[in-house]
Amino acid sequence: MSGQPGSSSWPEKAERIGRAAENLSLALLLAAMLFIAGAQILLRNLGEGGFPWADEALRIMVLWLAMLGGLAASREDRHIGIDALARILPPAGQNLVGALISALTAAICLIIAWNAALFVGESREFGDLLLGKLPAWWFQTILPVAFGLMGYRYLVWSLRRLRALFSRSPSA
Amino acid sequence: MILTGLVLVLLAVMGMPLFAVIAASAMLGFQRSEIPLSVVPIEIFGIAEMPILLAIPLFTFAGYVLSESRAPARLVRITNALLGWLPGGLAIVSIAACAMFTAFTGASGVTIIALGALLYPALKQAGYQERFTLGLVTSAGSLGLLFVPSLPLILYGVVAEVSIDELFIAGVAPGILMMVVLSAYCLWAYRGNSQPLGHFSMRELGAALRDSAWEIPLPFVVLGGIYSGWLAVSEAAAVTAIYVMFIELVVHRDIKPGQLLDIVRQSMLLVGGILIILGVSLASTNYMIDAQVPEMLIGVVREYVDGPTSFLLALFVFLLVLGAILDIFSALVLVVPLILPVAAEYGIHPVHLGIVFLATMQLGYLTPPVGLNLFVASYRFNQSIVSVYLATWPFLLMLGASVLLITFWPDLSLFLLAP
Repeated sequence: MSGQPGSSSWPEKAERIGRAAENLSLALLLAAMLFIAGAQILLRNLGEGGFPWADEALRIMVLWLAMLGGLAASREDRHIGIDALARILPPAGQNLVGALISALTAAICLIIAWNAALFVGESREFGDLLLGKLPAWWFQTILPVAFGLMGYRYLVWSLRRLRALFSRSPSA
Repeated sequence: MILTGLVLVLLAVMGMPLFAVIAASAMLGFQRSEIPLSVVPIEIFGIAEMPILLAIPLFTFAGYVLSESRAPARLVRITNALLGWLPGGLAIVSIAACAMFTAFTGASGVTIIALGALLYPALKQAGYQERFTLGLVTSAGSLGLLFVPSLPLILYGVVAEVSIDELFIAGVAPGILMMVVLSAYCLWAYRGNSQPLGHFSMRELGAALRDSAWEIPLPFVVLGGIYSGWLAVSEAAAVTAIYVMFIELVVHRDIKPGQLLDIVRQSMLLVGGILIILGVSLASTNYMIDAQVPEMLIGVVREYVDGPTSFLLALFVFLLVLGAILDIFSALVLVVPLILPVAAEYGIHPVHLGIVFLATMQLGYLTPPVGLNLFVASYRFNQSIVSVYLATWPFLLMLGASVLLITFWPDLSLFLLAP
């Protein structure tokens, strides 16, 4: 892991800021979800009926939480996967395979991001609405952004593993 | 088409994140059928159209908070005060505590980490052999998958479009069966010297009850709330998360506010991982249904399998292999949409199918060579993976027998459901 305190090359700075931004937005989203869901139950039991927008807002927040959580998982390369075979390879082989796999994963994320951007563009053109009267594309933008950043994360992982391969250090 | 399939499988076993593998297969399929790829993000956005999914982040978060607090220690204490006087008591204590804890924390190996640390030394101290202890803790760590509010159960309900309340009811008897079978095996294994740990003490029970006074209502709120219809599943999740935060941060102060950010990150990392796989699977399932894969599958299966009994047997073997290589969440979202119509051909009830699916996948946690719990235990207790295999196999055999019973006795799952 890079990002030692005191170091200040720009990728490391970006790493620290990105991590903090992820943590903060995950925490804020979760707190807001707990608050809204809790308030809904309370209001319903007081016979107040609750907020009409709450259920839809909560569903959208789950999507955002999923995308941000997925982004956090790609920062730590901890997406769910099968790693049994890679584990028995020698370190150099692990780095080589890892670099290749990460590069491919990055490419897939970027293809999804590109198509998500097209989808958001169309939705904007058609003027789709969510939550009554808000433009849907505001909420859909998380898809190209998160997949784009995930693609960047895996590109970084790929380069890191390539560097480890050539510097013969144990493994990235 | 077969070649691309093989390449994708190869990439998956080389460690490519499964969401990327699934997304790639969906995109290649759509590409071949000349369907624009923007259908993939549209399907992923479908995550925002399933109200029940709210339960997943909230229960996961509550589970992580519980396992970071001292709740596991309090749970062991109270189970011990209740059951410790039985012969073989501590083994049964371990089984009961693990099942309860797994139900609340999903199924991510976290039970072994949180409870194993307490139970492992206690069992050894009580005179259980090291190997037996290792096997017991490793296999008990996967119990409870069928109990409310386990995440895989919720996810099955989402994917199969089956009522989650019915799944919760159907899981009770099979889950208890597995606990009883393991407990009986423990009693039998130590029939010679199953000295009770101590006498039943009203005073210790009282102290333990006071100690967990805040946590005891939790299962009742969740179970009672859901079964009575007072709370929807996702509402029960919200109540659980809020209540658990209140107990562990304010009442017990086991968790400092500063730790909370890290718990949020760790739990949401898992949630993101699961939900992204679900999102891309929505796309790949859409493609497969478009390409009539389920119909082809039915055709192939019908050629080789000629009745419900042989279908269930084939399913058992298939899921056992699947569970050994794939984690439960990916297996659920990928495989359930495909086998559901096939099972319906053979007259298998979708709720029963869900219980069979999860119970068999639970064995997968313990099946060499790559069962998740085997690795977690090997890492956590500092034992070689081979010694974990050797320690676990008798327990695996017992659980395997229970799962066969669950598979071929549908009424065990279905008898509590309204006809």
